[in-house]
Amino acid sequence: MQIFYATYLLLNLFGYTIEWHISNHDLFMFIPGILVFVGSGILTASYYLGDKKNNNILYDEYTALRYYKIAAIGYAVNGIGIFILFSIQDWSNWSFQSANNMIYQIAAFAWLVFGILLTIFSIGDYKEFKNG
Amino acid sequence: MGKHHQNLLNNLEELRKKAGLTQQQLSESAEVSRKSINAIENGIYVPSTVLALKIAKTLGCKVEDLFKLPNN
Repeated sequence: MQIFYATYLLLNLFGYTIEWHISNHDLFMFIPGILVFVGSGILTASYYLGDKKNNNILYDEYTALRYYKIAAIGYAVNGIGIFILFSIQDWSNWSFQSANNMIYQIAAFAWLVFGILLTIFSIGDYKEFKNG
Repeated sequence: MGKHHQNLLNNLEELRKKAGLTQQQLSESAEVSRKSINAIENGIYVPSTVLALKIAKTLGCKVEDLFKLPNN
């Protein structure tokens, strides 16, 4: 959702308008999406144009495997979570507001899962750094 | 032989020390992170063929000197 908001804002900045009817918004809600855009751009540029020695450390095969594991665990847990979130909805009284709430629940759960996983892996990294 | 992965015995730590290199120095020559070298030495990670060859080249030995299958 943030990516869509950020796209909307960037297009507006460059003088293009698209007929999306986004109401009740202010500039601050676009900030996470813009950070994702800018962050992705910086990472892509640094991968191709950055210091080779640094990139060898950041993007080596063992690191890739570890992040692949984070993604695999994250997707699996999120899949189960989304299934549960779908199951607990009150479909008999479904409304636009209910759909909106469910999107928030899914987003919150996904952030929670990846946040916990990244924290666990970061603690592992720190221990490895300290103990060798 | 150091700590081993269940599918691969490794002799990396011993040969690295014999060559007088730290994990950091070896990782820079082999173009990987120090974490990778540490993980291989501790039997946590099995390197790709390319990485195994780079490490062997840096240490001036054969890949077979570094790694062995458990049954051999």
